[in-house]
Amino acid sequence: MEFSLNEEQEMLKTMARDFLANECPKTLVRELMEDEVGHSPELWKKIAEVGWLGLIFPEEYGGSGMNFRDLTILFEEMGRAMLPGPFFSTLILAGLPILTAGNEEQKKEFLPKIANGEAVFTLAALEEDGDLWPEGIQLRAVRRGEDYIINGTKLFVPDAKAADYILVAARTKRTANPEEGITLLLVDTTEWGIYASPLKTMDETRKQYDVVFNNVPVSAKNIIGEVDQGWPILKDMAIKATAALCAEMVGGGEWVLETTVNYAKERIAFGVPIGSFQIIKHKCADMYSALEYARSLMEWAAESIKDDSPNAATAVSMAKSYCGDAYKQVTDHGVQIHGGIGFTWDHDMHLYFKRARSSDTAFGDSNYHRELIAKQYD
Amino acid sequence: MTSGGAEKLEELRREVRAWLRENLPKGWGTPEYVAPEPFSEEQHELGKAWTKKLYDAGYTGFGYPKEYGGIERPPQEIAVIREELARTGTPGGPLSLGLLVAAPTILSHGEDWQKERFIPKVLSGEESWCEGFSEPDAGSDLANVQTTAVRDGDEWIVNGSKCWTSMWAYADWGLLVAKTEPDAPRHRNLSYFLFDTTTPGFSRRPLRQMSGEAEFGEMFFDDMRVPHKNMMGEQGRGWYVAMTALQHERSGGGAFFGGAGGVDLAGLTDRRAAAVESLAELAKNTKRYGKVIWEDDMFRQRIAQFAIEAQAMRWSGARMIAKMRKGMVSGNEASVVKNFQAEMRQRRGDMVMEIIGAYSQLVRGSKRAVDEGDWVYDMLRSRGATIEMGTSEINRNIIAERILGLPRQ
Repeated sequence: MEFSLNEEQEMLKTMARDFLANECPKTLVRELMEDEVGHSPELWKKIAEVGWLGLIFPEEYGGSGMNFRDLTILFEEMGRAMLPGPFFSTLILAGLPILTAGNEEQKKEFLPKIANGEAVFTLAALEEDGDLWPEGIQLRAVRRGEDYIINGTKLFVPDAKAADYILVAARTKRTANPEEGITLLLVDTTEWGIYASPLKTMDETRKQYDVVFNNVPVSAKNIIGEVDQGWPILKDMAIKATAALCAEMVGGGEWVLETTVNYAKERIAFGVPIGSFQIIKHKCADMYSALEYARSLMEWAAESIKDDSPNAATAVSMAKSYCGDAYKQVTDHGVQIHGGIGFTWDHDMHLYFKRARSSDTAFGDSNYHRELIAKQYD
Repeated sequence: MTSGGAEKLEELRREVRAWLRENLPKGWGTPEYVAPEPFSEEQHELGKAWTKKLYDAGYTGFGYPKEYGGIERPPQEIAVIREELARTGTPGGPLSLGLLVAAPTILSHGEDWQKERFIPKVLSGEESWCEGFSEPDAGSDLANVQTTAVRDGDEWIVNGSKCWTSMWAYADWGLLVAKTEPDAPRHRNLSYFLFDTTTPGFSRRPLRQMSGEAEFGEMFFDDMRVPHKNMMGEQGRGWYVAMTALQHERSGGGAFFGGAGGVDLAGLTDRRAAAVESLAELAKNTKRYGKVIWEDDMFRQRIAQFAIEAQAMRWSGARMIAKMRKGMVSGNEASVVKNFQAEMRQRRGDMVMEIIGAYSQLVRGSKRAVDEGDWVYDMLRSRGATIEMGTSEINRNIIAERILGLPRQ
């Protein structure tokens, strides 16, 4: 385990912070919040140019072969800058399954498209029950000749309107074991019969859609992994996605702490800065402490994934559970300490407050992951 | 590392194991072994003798320069030794704040003669230490110390009293903060002394706490004379020396920053209480209103949270070690660790009381008490954890002011 950044990682961090400060100011974040698609092709092009989209892909697929811990450094900075758009969807939700389970032909075709920013990808996994678990995947895909025909509705699909490809988790077989019979199909969104309508979400920096598939054909060639064996691929992706999300949460939480502490130093009430009151100090101290431990667990999780450690799933569950609670607590205090201004739409605090909530529920909330830990003691 | 190096380490491991078989107290690790009463003289003497043996064998005393009695070994060897000691468990050291507070503070602030005179005997366990900081009117407001020291030739005459003194009973030496400049402003009116507890005018007595025992003591100074050369740090700068000492105490002298690889919830009086497994075990073995506690989601969640927090502490420790190597860590981080640990311990105690219900009323000494009353004891004792070494409130002020830079009141 390595708990301090090496020189290269320090550079990546500095570069990422500068890049996002220049290219993703809050004015752009708010512009994209108002937009139905929530995606800036200009920004996407620049992100591709700095090599982030291919960061962890091997060089043969147009990537730069860096590791998962390096990637989490970017996510920390993205969480801090509140980067909107389909980076997470493209690289993590769809990119990782293709990287880990795609065949050579698929990897050669799709990974360079991701790395060079040519195409946007996403994943359609959740349905009406809103939970990522095998029973939740009921949308049918039926074989017809060389194709699979998809029918049904997916919910909470991120970035569906920006996406050129949607990786669809479909049910292709029903057996007693719900983990069996799930197949991952990569669907080209130019096909007829795909209807994406935006969901009005609390966190407007993350666009989500209700996507209806009406007799959508997908070539069997575009199955990622084996037929009926898609669940383990999703599960593996989810562990990494969760760790990446934790990094984003810690980065966002640190922005909230810094912004709040600065405000407490400057805001005068009763003739003194409010940060001189113990009640404010103690809340700030609690924010600091929560983020300290959230970061420790997040880095442990990221390192465990990087090292392919057998503890990775445990580390990720512990990190997600802790980061989820910590980010919510930190944003609660952030809003409260800002007082009236923190409750306004114009102040950026609510963006983080809402991000904390949407992140908590994604990939299992704190309670869900705590129960996974409890099971280890059964 | 070369394979020759690995062989050498294995040889050391065998050597330590053999040494432990030879030297651990009779019956150690078996039910026949009867441990001395906590805080008893017998426990203290056993700890002294054990530390001396370890030191003579070269198995303790790490992290200090050779000229002050430190034992220098490559880190891999130290790791092997610590692993082996942790594997069998050992009787522990004397009842002393020597290793935790005195030695590191003397190393950072002492004169050469003080380092040479005192540190080796801490490392070897020969001399034990206590710390005279708190007073009845100087707790959180430590700068309000009323004990005075008045210069008389080559000596200082000390008058006053101290309370909440840990490891008070058998200490050979004491650390003392006393007011030497009555007219100087706060924080610049105190000096720091090392005093011999056999000096005439010194007396001590136990201070019984809410958990029933007298882990702490009171100390009284009645015209006690301390040689001037025993002042540590500059005259009038005692506050700053005391702050260093407190940081060492809060951070556990670095002891729990990484430990020997395990998760040690420091501050526990009983190993049973340390492990999350034991909480799960208790929940599995306890029924309330006919229902097994471990089947209750609320308790499962809370117990899992302790598992998560234990790991959070462990990896935070690892991160602090990494930062220390880069010289990036300030002693103020100790306040974060200290609060986290103390508050976790308190929450754990409270939860166990909810689990055991009516039995939470039965304390040590009752045949019907759960786990010999240890849980109830720890729940009570943990009330002190958020008060000693800086209350949780003072530590939050330290985090806010010294780490986050918020203005002082």
